[in-house]
Amino acid sequence: MENFTALFGAQADPPPPPTALGFGPGKPPPPPPPPPGGGPGTAPPPIAVTAPPGADKAAGCGPFYLMRELPGNTELTGSTNLITHYNLEHAYNKFCGKKVKEKLSNFLPDLPGMIDLPGSHDNSSLRSLIEKPPILGGSFNPITGTMLAGFRLHTGPLPEQCRLMHIQPPKKKNKHKHKQSRTQDPVPPETPSDSDHKKKKKKKEEDPERKRKKKEKKKKKNRHSPDHPGMGSSQASSSSSLR
Amino acid sequence: MAEKFDHLEEHLEKFVENIRQLGIIVSDFQPSSQAGLNQKLNFIVTGLQDIDKCRQQLHDITVPLEVFEYIDQGRNPQLYTKECLERALAKNEQVKGKIDTMKKFKSLLIQELSKVFPEDMAKYRSIRGEEHPPS
Repeated sequence: MENFTALFGAQADPPPPPTALGFGPGKPPPPPPPPPGGGPGTAPPPIAVTAPPGADKAAGCGPFYLMRELPGNTELTGSTNLITHYNLEHAYNKFCGKKVKEKLSNFLPDLPGMIDLPGSHDNSSLRSLIEKPPILGGSFNPITGTMLAGFRLHTGPLPEQCRLMHIQPPKKKNKHKHKQSRTQDPVPPETPSDSDHKKKKKKKEEDPERKRKKKEKKKKKNRHSPDHPGMGSSQASSSSSLR
Repeated sequence: MAEKFDHLEEHLEKFVENIRQLGIIVSDFQPSSQAGLNQKLNFIVTGLQDIDKCRQQLHDITVPLEVFEYIDQGRNPQLYTKECLERALAKNEQVKGKIDTMKKFKSLLIQELSKVFPEDMAKYRSIRGEEHPPS
């Protein structure tokens, strides 16, 4: 096998450096030796112009002229855990440790109105505020007596379509309240949900009695029917045993 | 730092509450509530003035535009923070994997080159200031 130095150092006509391929500037091929007299037409070697930062050291590296300085160990790279480096463990555990609720109303629970709807629906998006900023420049002045005359309203309730302020997404809140009342009060007040629950319980209690009655009726019918003489009872017993 | 935000938050909460009360007055307007309405309207003006004053303290705060997209879609903006942290950690792990692999490759390459070109690699190690090839 050829020597390592022979591979890199003794090339008569090396190919041009592959800068076009994006590998960075390599050291240019060694310039031809200057004539002994030092002719007037000899251009200075282009090392000073294109040499990489570590070229000074690399010049004395013998066969390893493509060698550069290693990056320092003090440099911050991806090999260190950057979340711990910037003290973000608390934030990571807070946001990634447990499930973050999806809706905006979970983030701003006290904000009135329907805030979970997309802003594009009612033209209230923040994006539109950036894209079409409002005309600014004026200061906020208090409304004086004559200007207040413009705010004299008609008496009576607003029409249905204008009552946006009263529309709330309170389903979860109500559930939460019920839960609280159940945990806090041993005897909960009679709410519609509780009464429903009782009714359901009653229904469940009645269900087995109804089933028995129905079964008995079926048995009677089968006994009397001409198509299945005596079969109904055995089937019923087998089905009941299976259950 | 947090005081600035607390200040703004307080003003915003007051402003929202004023708007809510104004909405209640307007939704079923009575002639007797005209004075209250006028008062609320002026509260809104002063509220806007207070919020505008907070602007001077917060001029150096930058907000990523992607957060606005979350809010516009009615989604919790904390999800953006969560996704950012998860993406950062995933990328961090990916880069760490690459660095570790390249380190392994380097040590193996030096090991194998030392077998084939012992003299040159001895020179290399002397230049690098390494007595022994890294394991």
